[in-house]
Amino acid sequence: MSGCMRTLLRCSHGRLLAFLLLLAWPWFGHANPVTTDHVTLRLVAERTQVAPGSQVTLALVFEIAPGWHTYWRNPGDSGEPPRVTWTLPEGVSIGPMQWPRPELIPVGPLANYGYSDQAVHLFDLTLAEDWPVGDPVRLRADADWLVCEEYCVPESATLALTLASGDLPGPLDQTEADVVAATRAALPRATIDQAVLVAAPAGLRLEVPRQSLPLEITGAWFFAGEWGLIDHAAMQPWRLTTEALQLELSPGVRAEQAAPEGVLVVADTAGNLSSFDLQVTRTAALTSGSTAPPISLPLALLFALIGGLILNLMPCVFPVLAMKALSLVNSLTAEGPAGARVRRLDGLAYTAGVLVFFLALAVILLSLRAAGLAVGWGFQLQYAPFVAVMVYVFFVFGLSLAGAFTLGARLMAIGGQQVGYAGAFGTGALAALVAAPCTAPFMGVALGYAVTLSWPLALAIMLTLGFGLALPFLVLSWMPRLARVLPKPGAWMETLKQVLAFPMFGAAAWLLWVLSVQTGPAGIALVLTGLMILAFGLWLRERTQVSGPAPRRLGGLAAGLAVVSALYLAVATDAVETAGSSSAATSGSHLPSEDYSPARLAAARAAGQPVLVNMTAAWCITCLVNERVALSSPALAQRFAASGVLYLKGDWTNRDPAITSYLAEYGRNGVPLYVYYPPNGSPEVLPQILTEEMVSRVLP
Amino acid sequence: MKTSRVSRGLVGLTTLVATLSLGTVWAAPQVGQPAPDFQVVDTAGQTWTLAELTGKKTILEWTNHDCPFVIKHYDSGAMQALQRDATDAGYVWLSVISSAPGQQGHVSPAMADDLTERRDAHPTAVLLDESGAMGRAYDAKTTPHMYLIDESGVLVYMGGIDDKPTTNQADLEGANNFVRAAMADLAAGQPIAVPVTRPYGCSVKY
Repeated sequence: MSGCMRTLLRCSHGRLLAFLLLLAWPWFGHANPVTTDHVTLRLVAERTQVAPGSQVTLALVFEIAPGWHTYWRNPGDSGEPPRVTWTLPEGVSIGPMQWPRPELIPVGPLANYGYSDQAVHLFDLTLAEDWPVGDPVRLRADADWLVCEEYCVPESATLALTLASGDLPGPLDQTEADVVAATRAALPRATIDQAVLVAAPAGLRLEVPRQSLPLEITGAWFFAGEWGLIDHAAMQPWRLTTEALQLELSPGVRAEQAAPEGVLVVADTAGNLSSFDLQVTRTAALTSGSTAPPISLPLALLFALIGGLILNLMPCVFPVLAMKALSLVNSLTAEGPAGARVRRLDGLAYTAGVLVFFLALAVILLSLRAAGLAVGWGFQLQYAPFVAVMVYVFFVFGLSLAGAFTLGARLMAIGGQQVGYAGAFGTGALAALVAAPCTAPFMGVALGYAVTLSWPLALAIMLTLGFGLALPFLVLSWMPRLARVLPKPGAWMETLKQVLAFPMFGAAAWLLWVLSVQTGPAGIALVLTGLMILAFGLWLRERTQVSGPAPRRLGGLAAGLAVVSALYLAVATDAVETAGSSSAATSGSHLPSEDYSPARLAAARAAGQPVLVNMTAAWCITCLVNERVALSSPALAQRFAASGVLYLKGDWTNRDPAITSYLAEYGRNGVPLYVYYPPNGSPEVLPQILTEEMVSRVLP
Repeated sequence: MKTSRVSRGLVGLTTLVATLSLGTVWAAPQVGQPAPDFQVVDTAGQTWTLAELTGKKTILEWTNHDCPFVIKHYDSGAMQALQRDATDAGYVWLSVISSAPGQQGHVSPAMADDLTERRDAHPTAVLLDESGAMGRAYDAKTTPHMYLIDESGVLVYMGGIDDKPTTNQADLEGANNFVRAAMADLAAGQPIAVPVTRPYGCSVKY
């Protein structure tokens, strides 16, 4: 060019024209792409033609020399992010630089966040409505960046790009479509604003709710958005709990001042990476729902005890307790100190039965949770074969109480015929078994608290609950003057015993309905067949009791065979378990509802719509009573419709991790849970025993 | 018996691990705490320790003459001016080179003296921390990375030299030099307003 300047007249017309244009347009003469010592940089557009009033995506592509890297917005321990300054004609605006997920680049004892091989930054360009169609859109980008291997080199380039303008946006530029698509895929997928940063004694713990993350996670890394929050080079041990992905972070030198935000990158089982923007809330305490602050340990123990006491009145426990009451009255025939001693031991055996069963249940629950399964209290009823077996248990005891046949001596003890410590123990275990799903109002919070605790404390709370269940009978059995209070044993007992068969059948009928929700008609067919076989086998056994030894053995064999067949059919219900398509909602409510999903809730809230969330399960009696009493009237349905309230129902009859984590957000570990979200403002948790008045009070 | 021995062993192990991990946490320098000790030779072969500096205010400057960020501050003369102002005000200024042998920025004592003379630099001494022990004790991450220690040996500032993390000399104009600000606060007998900032530059070549 300088040669041309010196001998201007000798220049060809073309070169002269080019020179003059260079003077006239700052964009001419700037190459695109530009190659520097370590980078080839190009600026491209997803579409080469843009329409007034529309957007087009630009990509600034760094092709980086092998072994070298550029940096993310927080470069880590050293380095600098690239910077771009735009020179734009009036009517063109460009959005902020977008950062795909970085990689961790260890440098000795330090670590950087950056990109190797290729770094692509997207920008959204908007063309004004009044841009004259046909005028070219000339862009200039001045880019400065630092590129490092062992050492660092600052580089810069000026790039020019001209886009055509037209009535319609142009087609996608196929040569760059892959680069743009791959970069979009590497951008944070969504913003998670429910993550919390807990100041733990050993450092920082980041907890990210799992509902926003892929189901299976095989790797995780948190890239802090601001320098000083964490030690960039430190390991980040992670683990999954039922509700959250937890990462242990080492605090940086400005851990308390730095903005708690950044990008979380997780890998799934196939090794695919996905990233999420995190807006993190700091907290110093154990995390629980924002609206349900964790309660103190003594209070939790008290709630657990009260909850256990209330369990005694639950419809699912009542028949078992009634049998126990019979056994107690029966034991009064034994007078004097010997009788009192027997009663005391009996009470202790019953308590032991309850406690051992609660212990077993708690250990299984905690183990499953530790293994990362989303299970909650009452989880055993989410397993169809368990429900089927419980149907058998209630049915057979019902038959036995009604006098259809007598069970063996040991089992009879459970029925209350005679005092037997093994029998008392068995009754306790049975009471605990059927009580567990009846989450009483006081238990929800206590159990939700329990699962956030260490194992010993969680066990203490659950055992207190069991103790509460056993307490009334234990007290009765230890009262020396009991004989004077309770009625004398007599013929009325046989009548009462037979009457008690019917709560048993009721419980069996209820569980059959639960099963129908879980498995549909196929499971019911299996279990009804099982019941028939069971009844036939036990009847045969009963009929052969008074015959000779050979038929008796045959009868026993038939009964054994019947039990095995029935159990086989029970286990078979697992195969027909439907995947939560059921609805405990089919309870004749006038209130139209939608199925709960985190996305539906988020969408409604974003749209400013008030929402009532109801977490329920077919096996939860409290839930069903509430729905019947408080959430079904036509008047309420009208109010919902009038005020535009969205009614979301989450069915926890079968296992559902999304619902388990929702419950955990509110510090709960069981249903029911009712939460009302006003259009603006924080959600309100409604009581677990609900009336229509309580519901309409919170409505707008 | 066996279980109790096992559990006692576990408790012991946990305590050990906890102590070790806490130990590393404590090793990281903290503003308001005594600065980490060091023992490093300068270009003249003289050994410097923190204890000998008691009673004097000290500035530590991690450097690497080939790092573009360091070049920005030396080519413009800004670093030399700061060194002169600090030493005139009674500070001991120690330039520390933690580059390992064979790495960028590693120099012999003669080369280091030559650099000082050629660049008209004014450090009290240039420390050659070839092993990186001093750099690691201070958790020095970048060149430049600046530290201020008061007369009683307490670390009062650590971080970047200013708030314009670039290699462009033009950015020195209007930049807020954190070291100058800290020196002014110290001179006025006030607590350092901005005691910790992000150090920027090239990574230290340990």
